[in-house]
Amino acid sequence: MASIDIRSVHKLYGKTPAVRGLDLAVEDGSFLVILGPSGCGKSTLLRMIAGLEDISAGEIAIDGRVVNEVEPGRRGCAMVFQNYALYPHMTVAENIGYALKVAGVPKAERADRVGRVAAMLGLGDLLARKPSQLSGGQRQRVAMGRAMVREPGIFLFDEPLSNLDAKLRIQMRLEIKRLHRELKTTSVFVTHDQVEAMTLADTLVVMNQGVIEQVGTPAEVFRRPKSRFVANFLGSPPMNFLPAEIDRRGRAVLAGGHMPWPDLVFELAAETRIEVGLRPGDLTPVAGKAAEGAIPFEPDILEDLGSELHWHGTVGGSAVAVALPAATPIPAGPVGLKAPPSAVHAFLGDGRRAEPAAAPIPSPKPSGEAPWRATSLSYT
Amino acid sequence: MTNRASAGRIAAHVVMIGLSFLAIFPVYWMIQTSFRAENEIFSGGLFPAVPTLKNYTDVLAAMPMLRILGNTVVMAGATTLAQVATGLLAAWALVRWRFPGGALARSLIALSWLVPFQVVMIPNYVLASKLGLLDTVTGLVIPNAAAAFSVLVLYNAMRGFPREVIEAARMDGAGNFRILAEVVLPNLSAPLASVSILCFISAWNDYFWPLLLIRRMENSVVQIGLQFFMTQEGNDWGPLMAAATLASLPILALYLVLQRQVVDSFMKSGIR
Repeated sequence: MASIDIRSVHKLYGKTPAVRGLDLAVEDGSFLVILGPSGCGKSTLLRMIAGLEDISAGEIAIDGRVVNEVEPGRRGCAMVFQNYALYPHMTVAENIGYALKVAGVPKAERADRVGRVAAMLGLGDLLARKPSQLSGGQRQRVAMGRAMVREPGIFLFDEPLSNLDAKLRIQMRLEIKRLHRELKTTSVFVTHDQVEAMTLADTLVVMNQGVIEQVGTPAEVFRRPKSRFVANFLGSPPMNFLPAEIDRRGRAVLAGGHMPWPDLVFELAAETRIEVGLRPGDLTPVAGKAAEGAIPFEPDILEDLGSELHWHGTVGGSAVAVALPAATPIPAGPVGLKAPPSAVHAFLGDGRRAEPAAAPIPSPKPSGEAPWRATSLSYT
Repeated sequence: MTNRASAGRIAAHVVMIGLSFLAIFPVYWMIQTSFRAENEIFSGGLFPAVPTLKNYTDVLAAMPMLRILGNTVVMAGATTLAQVATGLLAAWALVRWRFPGGALARSLIALSWLVPFQVVMIPNYVLASKLGLLDTVTGLVIPNAAAAFSVLVLYNAMRGFPREVIEAARMDGAGNFRILAEVVLPNLSAPLASVSILCFISAWNDYFWPLLLIRRMENSVVQIGLQFFMTQEGNDWGPLMAAATLASLPILALYLVLQRQVVDSFMKSGIR
């Protein structure tokens, strides 16, 4: 087991930055998942930890030792690649045992260790086969075995499940989780699949355009996204965003003058434009457009996914999706949507999260002074 | 299948058969002439009237043919080994590392392919003479020890090799020579076979350089040996064809053994 410290790491390809000044600490024994869209720099970061990519600036330390100039094979990391990267001419046993052969481990010990790892992964009967004779899932297991046999301090996973079909992916995901529980090896897992990220991570890192958007537990990142990007990236269907404007008392007013959360106050200047974010699962349909505290919803398409319903439509011209439990009765006629104030996320024009004020709405002062600006009543 | 499509196939086959005939006929003519008696050489007919081995016995009597064939095998084999070895190392360097001037180096290697032998003939000769390599098989091999052709073919084959597999070997702790020898090389058998056979044939057929370098018959190679039967009074066709047949047998045998790999390497661009 080992810890990783990443300090102000930059990576430039020519003049194009791929990773821009990244700081991150991976604790000993933890399972860190880096999530982000294609081209966000997540794989580059992983490859820099592995030593397969030079670091343009900054440093990476493993167990306190700076490894910028250390060869990949000497960093104590093992990597599982997206397309398995098995040696095509070697058998499963030779593939798994190659690192031991390179390290000069005697043949008998090698066979013993390969056998143990193969048994752990259910590969015992396949040791004499070549990679071309294996299925995708079996190849993935061999790639895992190759990483495990070295008993490394760190496992690095570069989107290892993205070439598998959906069913196998779930199975392998559980297997990886189980292996981590047993081995407790520090793991860094790169993916663009949010379900993998949410289910595997102790710590979730969301990256975008070469920088970290947010670090936290999956629950924190999902429930309190620090930016519009994170809010939009996590969740399926993605979060709904409705344009709004702050009124003089700090409340969010949606397009059409609707103010569904009159008790929710933001410490923002009047007329600040924000976006209100609402998770599809936090919305509840109510009959009647003008229901108290509801936003009028124009339904369009209802998708039945078996386990849940996705109801797509618009609110004031913005696309909105509502996720409902499968048996939910769908109201006929005009519909409004309700969401509790605790489910409301707000984002500023630059994408940062805006927190509502903890304090209740200030009541009008006893002096008789109005809470709004005096100028609004002035005719002078 | 429509009539039109089958007519197209027949036409294609007619053309291919014609081309095959054009390619095979000279070889057939060489072989059958080698079995003709002297007085029958210029008579028509597709077969010798009275087949004879006299031309072969004449060749073996006139020159140390087996020794010459041996020299040629050694020369072509050593040249092939050297070209494959240098080609592998150069291609590996170009594929494995990105370094300033890498693309330029690759272009220069490709350009060197276009330089005709006649341009480097004199400097090579002067060098060989100063190194005391005149009239030696070593002198025949060294100037041809590196070839742009083998570098470029192996470069392309290696470039098609999955990068992740090389990276996996690096993660497993293997050094660069080890990766080349134990991971890359075993997966390049098809391109290696094709490069080897083409290098061997090209070395076997080389005429100018041995002609310049070799003085004595016992150091000669087979191409120069053939010249023995081409005199100012005219060509001695029977023994000449017999010697040419003997000279082409090893190459033919090599091709028969490796033809699958050669065809494979041209059909596939690399490994999956």
